[in-house]
Amino acid sequence: MIGIEGHYEVKLGPLPTLTGKPTHYCAGCEHGTLTRLIAYALHELDLRERTVLVDSVGCSVLAHEYLNVDAIQSPHGRAPAVMTGIKRMRPDLLVFAVQGDGDAVSIGLSELIYAANRGEPITVFLVNNGIYGMTGGQMAPTTPEGMVTMTSPHGRDIATTGAPIDASKLLATFEAPAYVKRVLLPVTPTPATDFYNARGSIEGARSVRNAFRVQEMGGFSFVEFVSTCNVNWKMSILKSKQYATEVLAKVFPPGLFKDKFGVEKR
Amino acid sequence: MASAVTNEVQKSRVVVDAERCKGCDLCVVACPQQNLHLSGSLNRSGYHPVEFEYHGKKGACTACGICYWVCPDFAITEVLRWKA
Amino acid sequence: MTTARDFLKGNEALAYGALRTGLNAFFGYPITPSSEIPETLAVEYGNPQYPAFKVFLQAASEIEAINMVIGAAATGAKVMAATSGPGFSLKQEGISFAAGMELPMLIVDVNRGGPGLGNLGPEQSDYFQATKGGGHGGYRTIVLAPSSVPEMASFPSLAFSLAFQYRTPVIILTDAFLGQLKEDLMFPEVPAPEFDTSWATTGARGPVRHVISSMHLDLPELSRHSEHLRSKFEEVDRREQRSEKFDTDDADIVLVAYGICARLCQRAVGALRAKGVRAGLLRPITLSPFPKGELAAFVERGVQKFLVVELNTGQMLQDVQLATGGRARIGSLQRVGGLFPSPSEIVREVEVMAR
Repeated sequence: MIGIEGHYEVKLGPLPTLTGKPTHYCAGCEHGTLTRLIAYALHELDLRERTVLVDSVGCSVLAHEYLNVDAIQSPHGRAPAVMTGIKRMRPDLLVFAVQGDGDAVSIGLSELIYAANRGEPITVFLVNNGIYGMTGGQMAPTTPEGMVTMTSPHGRDIATTGAPIDASKLLATFEAPAYVKRVLLPVTPTPATDFYNARGSIEGARSVRNAFRVQEMGGFSFVEFVSTCNVNWKMSILKSKQYATEVLAKVFPPGLFKDKFGVEKR
Repeated sequence: MASAVTNEVQKSRVVVDAERCKGCDLCVVACPQQNLHLSGSLNRSGYHPVEFEYHGKKGACTACGICYWVCPDFAITEVLRWKA
Repeated sequence: MTTARDFLKGNEALAYGALRTGLNAFFGYPITPSSEIPETLAVEYGNPQYPAFKVFLQAASEIEAINMVIGAAATGAKVMAATSGPGFSLKQEGISFAAGMELPMLIVDVNRGGPGLGNLGPEQSDYFQATKGGGHGGYRTIVLAPSSVPEMASFPSLAFSLAFQYRTPVIILTDAFLGQLKEDLMFPEVPAPEFDTSWATTGARGPVRHVISSMHLDLPELSRHSEHLRSKFEEVDRREQRSEKFDTDDADIVLVAYGICARLCQRAVGALRAKGVRAGLLRPITLSPFPKGELAAFVERGVQKFLVVELNTGQMLQDVQLATGGRARIGSLQRVGGLFPSPSEIVREVEVMAR
């Protein structure tokens, strides 16, 4: 470089909170994106050495392979109970779990509700893609009406299986939870421009950080990430982003349902 | 890094770990300047990894970092900004 | 509140025994006939006499309770849960996970009538469930069987020692009778020891982090892990078989019974001896590992007759048959439904066998 002084500074860089292992997630899956957002928040808030991750069962079962923090495996759906045990014994630790919609809204709904109702100062990130991913695409409690899955091959029939369950709205009816938010995480096609809108990731990053801050302030925090599952939805990656925007986000509209400590305003 | 032809300083750079990339296309479609495209070659996993070029179809890279936030595979490892 | 010498129900004694050995956390759910355990702990929570007792929480279900136990145990704490048959069934997934993750914990099962809802009488019908696994996958736990209120008080300390030494769940298998029975007891001065918990998940330290998981997707890795669990239990089997013998030195017939049945058999042995029948009693204290060594020794010595007295339809009977290797006659006196044999009924059964 002749006559030019300067250097490259790192604006966004490698994260010690990631193990760096290549992920098992399908290409384009928001689980990967969320893992990155969590790693960034843990690094930014210097939480790594105080954090315990609780692995749930589903696509997030291998989360500890990618996040470089202490971790413990939980049985299917029971992460909020396991987190309660950890946090009650060690209130100084930051305890969180990433759960799928089957884990949190089906088998684990009772544990989730009671942890929320007690206002346990823990954090639950719900990756809601309306389907069971890890087990090969069966119907979930959050599957939209009419969606074809491995256990609803003719499309989900509300009359016999009930309507999709809105976990964020459900938890927001309780007094204790301090932060309940729903984010549309995927990149969304925006017809007005010729590039996809990445607001989901930016909003997601902020929500993860706020959720951890709320836990540090003593509150129960819950962020639901409306996501995709292109493999089990049997769509291309970009088509699945469109489906999430046009269909799933209408069943589960993004929003801030609870913010007791006003973290969103800061 | 100065371009040998124009002696211009590239104001930003995106570092890609090609072996981690799964060719999901999300950074490609999210980049406002269209600085990213999938390579014609394959990485060890059989994916077409993404490649960065400073001069995109819509303009030069601004180090906005959207690719970093959007990547699900930690393949966009660094976004660098030139400081004079 | 309790004093060093007291007159308590079995369940209460167990709760105080746990407190005195430094219990850190209890997560439970009401179920008869075990509810006195959480009730006692709820009252004593916050008592400065027990500074280690930091967490008391009644969970929303038996399942939630065992998973809270898993979480607290992962931090290296001394954690306990207490339940009865139906709740013990619900906890099996959690116990399987805990065994696979090698987490120390104490689970108390106050055996009642079963199967299903059963009734509230004493049974010993959870024997198979407690000693042979109960949950999925290949694992064994240590099972202790108290037979008196003083043992209800002292066994929690023993249980935690074993749990932390071998990093395994330990089950105290008692019954509805013993849980409700009131006896005079002296609380022993038990140590409240600290154990090595360097494996606990309490936050990464630099490059070192702890991952506690029972999942080993790599097939050879899971094989190695299961072999490790097996060899761990083989060591437990070699070193921790515990039992008590009454009048067995010259016995022609040995009764085998645990828990409340052992108390009844003790009476029966006394009566038999008075009648000149050379009967003795082997009382297993560890049901798992089963005191096979003692039984094998009796057979070696020439004992030809054993009578297993139990409140089920023949569960410990099988372990006695295995341990005596077909070289003796094994009788079985069974009562279920919450009924139990009187000492004189046991005496009659022995006399029939002794002929």
